[in-house]
Amino acid sequence: MTLLQPVGLLSFMALSAVLFSLGLYGALSRKSAVMVLMSLELMANAININLVAISRFSAPAELTGQIFAVFSMVVSAAEIGLGLALVIALYRQRKTVEIDSMQELKG
Amino acid sequence: MGYVAAIALLPAIAFAILVPMSNRVRNKAVPVSVAAVVISLALSLLAFAQVWPGGHGGEAVYHASVTFATLGSVDLGVGVLLDPISAVMLVVVTLVGTAVQVYSLGYMHRDARIGWYYAVLSLFTAAMLMLVLSDNFLQLYMAWEVMGLCSYLLIGFWHEQVAPRKASLKAFLTTRVGDVGFALGLAVMYKTAGSFDFQVVLHDFAWAPAAATTVSLLLLFGAMGKSAQVPLHVWLPDAMAGPTPASALIHAATMVAAGVFLVARALPIFEVSGVALTVTMIVGVTTALVGGLLAAVQHDIKKVLAYSTISQLGYMFVALGAGGLVAGMYHLVTHAFFKSLLFLGAGVIIHAAHTQDMREMGGLAKKMPVTTVTFTIGSLALAGVFPFSGFWSKDEILTILWHEGHYVVFALALAAAFVTAVYVARLWFRVFTGPTQSAELKEAHVEMLIPMGVLAAISAFIGFGSPYFAQFLGHEGEWPAAAIALTSMSVAGIGLALGWWVYGRRTKVINTRPFKQRAGFVYDALTLKLYFDLTYDYFIVRGYGRLAEMLSGFDRVVVDGIVNGAGAVWRSGTEVGSLIDTYVIDGAVNGTASLIKAAGAKVRRIETGHIQAYQGLMVAALVLLMLWFVVKGA
Repeated sequence: MTLLQPVGLLSFMALSAVLFSLGLYGALSRKSAVMVLMSLELMANAININLVAISRFSAPAELTGQIFAVFSMVVSAAEIGLGLALVIALYRQRKTVEIDSMQELKG
Repeated sequence: MGYVAAIALLPAIAFAILVPMSNRVRNKAVPVSVAAVVISLALSLLAFAQVWPGGHGGEAVYHASVTFATLGSVDLGVGVLLDPISAVMLVVVTLVGTAVQVYSLGYMHRDARIGWYYAVLSLFTAAMLMLVLSDNFLQLYMAWEVMGLCSYLLIGFWHEQVAPRKASLKAFLTTRVGDVGFALGLAVMYKTAGSFDFQVVLHDFAWAPAAATTVSLLLLFGAMGKSAQVPLHVWLPDAMAGPTPASALIHAATMVAAGVFLVARALPIFEVSGVALTVTMIVGVTTALVGGLLAAVQHDIKKVLAYSTISQLGYMFVALGAGGLVAGMYHLVTHAFFKSLLFLGAGVIIHAAHTQDMREMGGLAKKMPVTTVTFTIGSLALAGVFPFSGFWSKDEILTILWHEGHYVVFALALAAAFVTAVYVARLWFRVFTGPTQSAELKEAHVEMLIPMGVLAAISAFIGFGSPYFAQFLGHEGEWPAAAIALTSMSVAGIGLALGWWVYGRRTKVINTRPFKQRAGFVYDALTLKLYFDLTYDYFIVRGYGRLAEMLSGFDRVVVDGIVNGAGAVWRSGTEVGSLIDTYVIDGAVNGTASLIKAAGAKVRRIETGHIQAYQGLMVAALVLLMLWFVVKGA
């Protein structure tokens, strides 16, 4: 595989996997809730790349993946808005957004 | 002619714009509603001009519809039907609607919720126009119910007070009694004719007389509720608790006339039945008399007008019952104009005099010239004095009664006309003549006077269009015969004279005692509204109470006895069971519980409370699952 070859489906899926892993790492390790939310977005976008890429390489005429990706973006935009609102509400309550400080559900 | 649909849609759009606004913004957005109704008026006049000069045998000029659902094999549609009747109604509704909306700018301008008032007025106008334009009974019924809702909202507009709240409920529930009849009528219609379309139901389908009687009597019952016919009239006088201009639009000109419109539309079915026509006539003439008599003893100016409306609606039913579509519709039109004029005038009078009680009014003629002139025109039209509009339409009704040979009804209708003249004179002389009882009487704002002037001009001159109206609806038009015209004129004249003799001379303070002593029973009966409200209260409201008590007694003795007996038997059986329970089952349950508790103590350690720990577990589990699938798949 040389650099001049056209980019194939595998490359996109690799990129998506890398992004997903980065996001997963962030979501699992960051201390700030805001960073966790951003990492979640990263994961969502990794999936969007997969959707678009697979659609493009399997059934390019139908655009289903692209359309679905647009839906998915809208939904994650709404979700991130809700998430940030929750973070702000939490911040007002306890003056911190550190995830480790929220342990009320401890068994 | 697609613009016809817009006539009904524009006020609906105005409503949709106004509703989501906040109260403060909405109060400033009132012009939206006024603009919508003014454009509707312009379009209605255009539509009317295109139908003119009518005729066509009453055929539709324009018809379009869309199907919104299919029920079995029947398509349910929403349509627009422009024929002579609907063209006339369009103009009446939008004209009175515009007059009322402009008038309300002055009448309601200090109200904190004027925006909401206008929103409901818009919705009402849209519903009424949709009803008028509908091409099938189902759509008519939908619009009918929306109007009922608007009527409820407007009667209870000042819901901070008790009386409007109660009145709005009473109006809603009473008309609902009628609506049940309407709904059942639609059901029977669907079962027999298999359609709701006017074309199919009224023209194509061959009705058997029995089915026609059932359907038309049920429809008539619905119309009686909406048009406040005896015995379902009790809500209309109470409905006067709402704002006066709303009363003018809804409870004088349009909504209460919807019942008449329904009967007029369904008249072909009524005619097949025959019986239904007679019933319509009897209901109408009873209502005309009862309403007139009750109007003559009320002291509240708005209630006089309300009972008068009931009585005039009865007149329209009489006309339709005699098969006189033109006469009934014509009286509907003239009545819409002069009665809304009277209501608007009453609004001005109430504003100026700060009371609704006619006994505390007097001498308004000197201080309020414009109101006096317009109100007088309205009064003369109501009393049926030549050449004002009420004369012509009442005359047509009397003519058709005479020609069809209903002589008894003719005499009763004349009696009702006589009573009408008496209470009109009573109202007029009490309010406009005599000593002034309030010092600061002032004429109203100009935006209130202009609509009244327009309505007064129409009420004064529309009568001369009487033969053209008949031709417009596709019937033979002719000028009234002299004999009947003279009869009705002299009856009205004698009535007015009697009214003047009793109330107009002002020789002394008006005293009802002599009449009370001589005919105490009649007087009591009339002042107690002929016992309708008392009867309903006793038999229906309190009857429900008594029925509920009887049922609760039955509950306590019989049902509770059975339940308690069964309980006792069951209980002794369970005593035995409980021994087994305690030792065998409890042992097993407790053993299980302590096992789970011990397990829980171990497992709870993974519930660290760290979100990210949970997340990690989830990811690990997912990875394991994926691995398992990969291995299995391989």
